[in-house]
Amino acid sequence: MNLYEKIIALYPSLVDADFIPSIGTITLQNDSDNKGDYIRAWNHPSLPMPTQEQLDAVK
Amino acid sequence: MSVILQSSSGGSVTLNEPTTASNFTVTLPAATGTVQVSGNMPAFSVYRSSNQSFTSNTISKIQFNAELFDTANCFDSTTNYRFTPNVAGYYQINAQSRIRGTSSDNKILYIYKNGSNYAAMDNFALSIEYFAISFSQVIYFNGTTDYVEVYGFSNGSNTTFLGDATILFTSFSGSLVRAA
Repeated sequence: MNLYEKIIALYPSLVDADFIPSIGTITLQNDSDNKGDYIRAWNHPSLPMPTQEQLDAVK
Repeated sequence: MSVILQSSSGGSVTLNEPTTASNFTVTLPAATGTVQVSGNMPAFSVYRSSNQSFTSNTISKIQFNAELFDTANCFDSTTNYRFTPNVAGYYQINAQSRIRGTSSDNKILYIYKNGSNYAAMDNFALSIEYFAISFSQVIYFNGTTDYVEVYGFSNGSNTTFLGDATILFTSFSGSLVRAA
């Protein structure tokens, strides 16, 4: 399960538009450095950025 | 007859006369600046040699892993996939990619400078599974630490930067157009 899928599992109310740059409020990024996907920006007006523990708990 | 300019550092620059029986004129501009010759004008052209999949809804760096040329060894095609020119000045930077997603998604191509979005182009309202995006910018580099990379985005499925054994689909190039 990738980062996007984990976030959707935690917050089912989120939709693709929330992640589209310049439209959404959440930016996920991957720098091709073998460190994987990460949250570059989280500016959602009501949902808090999930912690690493919350993300790790999603199976 | 050659003219040799001796440097206080011990080296020299030799200006050679051409082999010709005719007369030509080179006019130097009444301006201060750096003379540009092939040795101080970095240029590169790289491409993605095979398909690169990436996570949907995630801005992902394109791994340009094949070089057509890299005149000053300023492009890293193995680790960071970035261009870090060693001569300060203004460079024309070109990026293109054929991005696969789904017909209704958003596809965006980015030029990142020093790790942040510098310029972007998208598929606007076109609904198409495979979309080719291409654009250029003239960007200033300090010649030491400034660098550029290319990122892409799609929120569809089967998200891929298409690659090929030639420079056909996904490529990145640039060259110095004016020294600082």
